[in-house]
Amino acid sequence: MTPEIIPIQPSMEASGNAPPLLREIADMLRRLLESGESSAIDLSALPLNPADLDWLRQKLGRGEVAAQVQANGESTFDETACPGVWWVTHRNEHGAVVAQFIEATCVPELLKAHPDDVAAGCEQLEVLISGL
Amino acid sequence: MQGPMIDTLVRQGVSRRTFLKYCATLASMMALPPTAGRAMAEALAAARRPSVIWLPFQECTGCTESMTRSHSPTLEGMIFDMVSLDYHETLMAAAGHQAEDALHAAMKDNAGKYLLIVDGSVPLGIDGAYSCIAGRTNVDLLKEAAAGAAAIVAMGSCAAFGGIPKAKPNPTGAVAISDIVKDRPIVNVPGCPPIPVVMTGVLAHYLTFGRLPDLDDKMRPVAFYGETIHDRCYRRPFYDQGKFAKSFDDEGARRGWCLFELGCKGPVTHNACATTKWNGGTSWPVESGHGCLGCSEPDFWDAGGFYKALSMPADPLKMGAAAAAVGAVAGVAVSFANRAKKHRAQSSHETTTLADLEK
Repeated sequence: MTPEIIPIQPSMEASGNAPPLLREIADMLRRLLESGESSAIDLSALPLNPADLDWLRQKLGRGEVAAQVQANGESTFDETACPGVWWVTHRNEHGAVVAQFIEATCVPELLKAHPDDVAAGCEQLEVLISGL
Repeated sequence: MQGPMIDTLVRQGVSRRTFLKYCATLASMMALPPTAGRAMAEALAAARRPSVIWLPFQECTGCTESMTRSHSPTLEGMIFDMVSLDYHETLMAAAGHQAEDALHAAMKDNAGKYLLIVDGSVPLGIDGAYSCIAGRTNVDLLKEAAAGAAAIVAMGSCAAFGGIPKAKPNPTGAVAISDIVKDRPIVNVPGCPPIPVVMTGVLAHYLTFGRLPDLDDKMRPVAFYGETIHDRCYRRPFYDQGKFAKSFDDEGARRGWCLFELGCKGPVTHNACATTKWNGGTSWPVESGHGCLGCSEPDFWDAGGFYKALSMPADPLKMGAAAAAVGAVAGVAVSFANRAKKHRAQSSHETTTLADLEK
């Protein structure tokens, strides 16, 4: 039984807590531009209901980049219509959302390859080449 | 002790991105600033595996069940991979003398450095004879193990507060761990059972910072027990509007109104159920239509009846009619104070370092 078919639903009107976040995001983006410093908002730590999140998502819009990472469940990194602002959703292996962030950054940290992993990639290529 | 944690994890096929994602999620659940995930990942990756000894006393194994049946075994298991669980009667393969040898070897090899986790209360009646392991009383075992522990985690309401064994008339003379051990740092992780992520959060904090998290006046981690169920309840607006279910099958119950009058102990219960939920985030007691029992508070079993509203006299939670009103007002204030605190942390925009988190 999924929660959706239980006929008890909490109030779904927007609480009004989402609009101020736009100013905060603008501030984060300016900071990124001036000092190159990335920052993030943890959406699950704020009193936002699903209607607030829908409003925010719709206002920010969709940008050119959408990336997926398969790491113990899917993580999606969607750039919004404001370049540099990313909507990040982490899901567990059952597809349930475990954390949601708005990140102000040029490239989200999780998308970059770690130097140690790059070194492992080098080794793998050496093996492939030696087998030619 | 083995090499840095990340090497162990990589050998087990855990990718760096999986680890980073896990730390980001954990930081979020621990109410740390979002950028703390990266700082945690760096510290955790370099941490060495500490020895953990888990002693079960007067308990029902529900706490271990909660841990081992948590929704994402790979993620929660990751934290367990980060520690060397040297003794746990339910989970270990060894038995009898072999098990006792493992316990004593772990205590000797890691003297002063191991983390002691205890679930269950300790009976003091008839010289502790109500509960013995390998012919020794719980109180004797606890004192011996506590003497060499760096810190103690009292897992579940029985270890933290005495729990159900201590319910009136307390036939075995059950007491909490903190009633016996006075000279070691103790962190209480109450709940019947506790939420799995709270347990792993405490372990992650210990591994990241090398010390226990900030605690409230009942020695519970503030990150998880800082707010009441009521503060974060999605039915809170109905409480504020005075819309209450009067029975479990009336119109109010069907419309999902507040369960306060049906005995919900949410306003006086500090726990994270309303935000972390249960069963993989599926639901939690109030969402499934039943009031909170208050299982993470001391003596919840004797708090005047699960279905009696808090406005009725409810010793020992001591909530008279006037106190309930005060509690509700205080709840709002605390809720806003905490929001303000989190907001400050989030709007500071600093790149969080380990040193910042320790402040």
